[in-house]
Amino acid sequence: MRKRNLSIAVAAAAALIALSACAPSAPPASTSTAATAGSDTLTIATTTDVVNYNPLIGNSRSDYWVTNLMYPHLLSIADDGKKEPQVATKWGYVNDTTGFYDLRSDMKWSDGTPLTAADVAWTMNAVKKDAPSGTFYGQMANFVSATAVSDTRVEIALSKPDSSIVEEIGFWGNVVPKHVFEKAASVAKFANDGTDGGWVSAGPYTLKTVQVGQSYSMDRVDSYPLVEGGVPIAAKVVYRVFPDINTEILALQSGEVDAIANALPPAQVAQLKSSSGITVEEVGGLGYAHMTYNMKNADLAKLQVRQALAASVDYDAIRKVVLQDQAVSTGSSPLMPVLSDYYDKSLTEYTFDTDKARQLMQQAGYTADSSGNFPVAFKFIYSLQDSVTSQWAQLVKDGAAKAGITINLVGTERNTYLAATAKGDYDIYAGNFAIMDDPVTNFTLAYLPGGAINYSLVDDPALNDLIAQGTVATDTASKVAIMQKAAKIVHDQVYDNVMYTQNLFFAHSSKWEGFVTKPSELLSIVNPLSVASAHKVG
Amino acid sequence: MSRLSFILRRLGRSVFTIWFAVTVTFLLLRLLPGDPALAIASPNMTDDARAALLTQYGLDKPLIAQYGIYLFELVRGNFGTSFTQSIPVMNVLLQRLPWTLLLTFTALLLTVLVGIPLGVLAASKKGRFIDKFVQIVGVTGQSIFVPSIGVLLLFVFGLNLRWLPIGGAYDTNAYGMAWYGSVISHLILPAVSLMLIQLGSYVLTMRSTLIEALGEDYVTLARANGLPYRRILWKHALRNALLPTTTLIGLQLGFLVGGAVLTETVFAYPGIGRGIYEAVTQLDFPVLQGAFLLLAVTVVVANMLTDIVYGFLDPRVKTS
Repeated sequence: MRKRNLSIAVAAAAALIALSACAPSAPPASTSTAATAGSDTLTIATTTDVVNYNPLIGNSRSDYWVTNLMYPHLLSIADDGKKEPQVATKWGYVNDTTGFYDLRSDMKWSDGTPLTAADVAWTMNAVKKDAPSGTFYGQMANFVSATAVSDTRVEIALSKPDSSIVEEIGFWGNVVPKHVFEKAASVAKFANDGTDGGWVSAGPYTLKTVQVGQSYSMDRVDSYPLVEGGVPIAAKVVYRVFPDINTEILALQSGEVDAIANALPPAQVAQLKSSSGITVEEVGGLGYAHMTYNMKNADLAKLQVRQALAASVDYDAIRKVVLQDQAVSTGSSPLMPVLSDYYDKSLTEYTFDTDKARQLMQQAGYTADSSGNFPVAFKFIYSLQDSVTSQWAQLVKDGAAKAGITINLVGTERNTYLAATAKGDYDIYAGNFAIMDDPVTNFTLAYLPGGAINYSLVDDPALNDLIAQGTVATDTASKVAIMQKAAKIVHDQVYDNVMYTQNLFFAHSSKWEGFVTKPSELLSIVNPLSVASAHKVG
Repeated sequence: MSRLSFILRRLGRSVFTIWFAVTVTFLLLRLLPGDPALAIASPNMTDDARAALLTQYGLDKPLIAQYGIYLFELVRGNFGTSFTQSIPVMNVLLQRLPWTLLLTFTALLLTVLVGIPLGVLAASKKGRFIDKFVQIVGVTGQSIFVPSIGVLLLFVFGLNLRWLPIGGAYDTNAYGMAWYGSVISHLILPAVSLMLIQLGSYVLTMRSTLIEALGEDYVTLARANGLPYRRILWKHALRNALLPTTTLIGLQLGFLVGGAVLTETVFAYPGIGRGIYEAVTQLDFPVLQGAFLLLAVTVVVANMLTDIVYGFLDPRVKTS
C-alpha cells in the first residue's frame, strides 16, 4: 500500500512538473527609459484582438484602431462628412482621368526615413496589383496607376472619369512604408507582425509589444506634425482586450482602463453618463440601419407591397424604445443629415399607418382572410450578433402583423447571415452600414446592378442613369443635385427603407481630456489625432 | 493483464480517439454555414477576390483532398496557417494554450480540494442542516450561467472591493516575482468561477458514494471492532468512495475546457477558449482545427492518466 501511495505521489509530481513546463513564463524586465514628464500611459479597452497588422488587409475594428496609429491616411473626415487634410494638403483632379494629391513635406517614418510621394504611389500600385482583401482595394475599381511626380505630389491615372475616387482612396487607404513592405512578395499576404525587426510608423505611436489576448503596447514617436506641438502627449498607448462589454465597462469604472474604443450599447449610455468619474462623448454616425426588400420576390417587386411594409413600421417607437432616443431619422433617405451638402429635407420619413398599409395591400391585389391576414409571408434575416437590430426586428414583425402581413424572423449568427445575404436567400434584409461617407460611391455599391451591397437587387434604369451621371460630375453643386434626385427615387420606390442614423457614444475617464472626436465608430475618440492629443487633467 | 499492456491499450485507444476527434472537427467545420472568404475579408469584395481567397487557402479543392492534405501535414507537425492572421497556427495556439492549462488545472485542483471535503461533510452529516445546505450550494452553482457568476464576482471583488483585477492574465507592468503575483491575482476570479460551476458534481458524487460506502459490511464490521468513526470515514470508506470521483475528474475535464471558453471571455483571460470563440466568428478553420486537436489531446491524456491512476487505486480494473 505504501508503495502504491508513493507511485501516485511520483505521478502527481511528474504531472505538476509537466504542467509547470507549460505554464506561462514571466517576461524579461523592460529596458525602456524611466518615466519623466509627459510619461502618462493612455489605456484603451477594445473587445477584440488585432487579427492583422497589415492595414491593407485588416478588416476588424481593433486592426483599424491599432494600425491607424502607425499608418496614416491621406485624408480624414469632418463632423459634416466632408473630407479634410491629413497627409495630403490638397487633392482633386488634373483632368477627367487624372487625380492628384499634394502631400505634407514634414512627415517621416519612425526609423527616420522621410514619408514621401514614393510611399504613397507604391502603396496604391501594390494594392491594385495584389488585391488585398481590405476596404482599400474595394475603392480602386477605376484606378489604373499612381505616379510620384515629386516628393510631395502623387498623380493617379483612372480608367474612366470618377468624381469620388480621389477622396475615397484618400480616406480609406493607409500609406505604408515602401522600404518595409516592398520586401514582401505580395502585400495581400504580408503579415507585418513585427517578427522581422518590429514596426515602422508614421503615425503618433509605434507598436512595441504584443501580448495576444491581453494587450498591445505602443510607444510615442519623436515627431508627429499633425498634432499641436508636433509630439503626441501620452508617452504610451496600451490597447487592452476585454471581449465582454460588461467587463470592459467595469474596467473603466474601476480605473483599469482610461477609455473604451467601442461605441457603448444604447442601454449603457444613460448609466455611464450619470457615473462619477466617467465622461461620455457623443459623435455622429456616418452610417445607417436599414431594411431592403428583395426585388426578385414577386410580391416585393410590387411597389404597393413595399410601401405597405414601410407604412407598417413604427419608426419613432424603434428610436425611442430600442435606441433610447440615440438615433435620428434620415427622412427614409440614404442621404443622411450628417452629409450636410447632400441631405434633402424635402424627403420625409414613411408614415406609420397600418390602416394605410392594409389599403396598399388591397390596391396591390391581395385579399385578407377572415382573420385579417393577407396571403403573403416574408423571410426577414438579421444577425443575432447585432443586438439593436435583433430588438427592432421584433417590432417590425409586430407592426407588419397589424397590417396583416406575415414576417418570419430568421436571426442567425453572423457568418450564416453573411452567407444568406451573399446568396440573396431572403425577402427582407436588415442590417447596418457603418460608414456611408460618399453618396456616389455608396449608391454605386448599393443600387447599381451587381453592386457588392445591392441587397435589394434593384435594377432601375432611371436610378442607374443618375448614378452614372453622379460618377462623372466634378462640379459639387450638380453632383449634389443628381444624387438628391437618385435618393428621391430610392425613397419613393422604397428600394431601401433607411430607418435611422445612430449617434454613437464613447466613454472615457474624466481624468483624461483633449480627445478630438470624429464621426463613426472607426474614428470616434481613438482616431490618431485624438489619441495623440489626449492628456491627463491638471 | 500486465500493467504495461494495460497502459499500452489505453494509449492505443487514446490515439484512435484523437484521430476521431480530428476527423469529426474537420468535417463539422466544413458543414458550418457561412463562407470563410466573407468572414475573412470585406463582404463587399468582388467575386474574383473571393475566388482568389478560396484558392489561396485551398478551400477550392474537393473535401477529400482537403482532408488528405490536412492529415498529411498534421502528421508532419504542420498545423497550417491561420486564414486571418497569415501566421502558423502553432504560433497562435502556443501563445494561448499555457493560460488555458493554468486556468483549467487550477480550477480542477480547487474543485477537488473543496468538493471532496464538502461531499464528505455532507455524507457524514446526512439529513442534517449542513448536508442540505451543501447540496443546495452545489446544485445552485451548477445551475448558474458562467458569465453571470463571472460578472457578479468582478462587480463585487473587482469594482466594489477592489481586491482583485478586472481582467487579463497579468499586470503588463509587472516583472520578476511581482509578475507571478499578478498572475495569481488575475487567476483567482476565473478559477473560482469555473470551480463554482463544477463543484456540485463533485460534492454530490462524493456524498452519494460515501453514503453508500458507509452502509457497507466492512464499515459495520469496523464499527463493531470499535474503530473510531473519523478513522472509518477518512481511512476506509472514503478510499472506496474516491473511485467514482476519480472517474468524474476525467469526465468533467471536457466540461471544464468548455466552461473555459465563456470564463475566458468574461474575464478577458487570454486562453485558447477565447481563441476558439474568435476563430469561430472568423471561420478560421486551421486555428479551430488546431485548437480542438490540442484540447482533444489534453482531455484524452488527462483521461488516460485518470484510467491509469484508477488502475492503481482499484487492482480489478487492470484485469477487466
